[in-house]
Amino acid sequence: MEVTILVQAADESFRILEESRNRARQVLDTAARLTSEAQILQRKRVEAIFKGAKQTKAEVIRFISTFILLLGFWLLLSGHYDLFHISIGVLCCGLVSHLSHDLLFANPRAGDMRVIVKRFIVYVPWLMYQIVLSNLHVARLALWPKRLIDPKIIEFKSKLESDISMVTLANSITLTPGTITVDVKDGIYYVHAVSKKVAEDLMTGEMEDRIAHIFMEADHVYVQDVLDMAPIFVELK
Amino acid sequence: MIIKRTIDMTRQSDDVIVKTLSRLLIPFIQIYALYVIAHGHYSPGGGFQGGVILGASFILLVITFGLDNALRRMTERLNTILCSLGVFIFAGIGLLCIILGGNYLDYGALDKIFHVGIAQARSLGILGIETGVGIAVMAVMTSIFLDISTGGLPSTKERNQSD
Repeated sequence: MEVTILVQAADESFRILEESRNRARQVLDTAARLTSEAQILQRKRVEAIFKGAKQTKAEVIRFISTFILLLGFWLLLSGHYDLFHISIGVLCCGLVSHLSHDLLFANPRAGDMRVIVKRFIVYVPWLMYQIVLSNLHVARLALWPKRLIDPKIIEFKSKLESDISMVTLANSITLTPGTITVDVKDGIYYVHAVSKKVAEDLMTGEMEDRIAHIFMEADHVYVQDVLDMAPIFVELK
Repeated sequence: MIIKRTIDMTRQSDDVIVKTLSRLLIPFIQIYALYVIAHGHYSPGGGFQGGVILGASFILLVITFGLDNALRRMTERLNTILCSLGVFIFAGIGLLCIILGGNYLDYGALDKIFHVGIAQARSLGILGIETGVGIAVMAVMTSIFLDISTGGLPSTKERNQSD
């Protein structure tokens, strides 16, 4: 009899212990969840503050660079360098950069602007040379007694990614005599070429490679890089 | 039979060339317009021409980036205010000259306020008039274009608000 009471009491105490342990675990779990939620909230808030600060900073940088560029353009146009006209210019540049500071530098990649400008300046003489070459070719087409003209529309998929490089390629193609960019849709160029040679020149993709080199587009083997590497390979041989 | 054609001006242009080039050119067009307005008393140009160029830059913005983007920069309310502000500046300077004892738009009378000499006062008065004309022309050009191109249809934002 006493033994059964004892066993019952032991059972009861074990049960109570188990229950209290479960409850304690629940309380601890809830506390842990609450603290982790609070931490996540806190982190999100801090991140939002930092992100906002970063955005404002980017906006201010864009505003200032637009302002400087426009002020330079204004000074170029205006021939009057007295205080009155320059102050009007500062006012107008401020107004325009406030209105359209997000247009000129819509998606800048930090730090590589100088390299892009340098490479673009190197690119322009090459483009001029190409224009002269194709000018001579088109003149030959026009003056040759036989009909060499074979107009067609060629299409090719470009590997360029950013809008500015795509536009540069399209305008370079149009600037070169004999070829005209008809349309650009989803990275596919539709180009009108006046003869077979012009089309083949375009399809070698040298112009595209050079433009990819200017704007530092990824996943490209640049012609310039290959040319730079060539002497090393020769020496290795 | 009447064929009803509506062009959805809230849509952006899908041509990457047009979009990028107008993005790069619009700030320069605007600064050129302001230059034409501000140097109207020295060189060819002036309020009307500059205002038209400024209005054209907004029209280019509407064509390439859609109505909503353009209205975020300049709301129709602001446009209407600028319309009347330009006329107010023009008429205000003219009337100010009468109040100061000259004829209507006789800028020499403005010398009594600014004390910069009659010739300089005339120059400043012309600049003020040019600014007023420029603002008015820009706002009116833009609002005429907006009214015609949208056919009186509300923008997406207004449509969403009314829904």
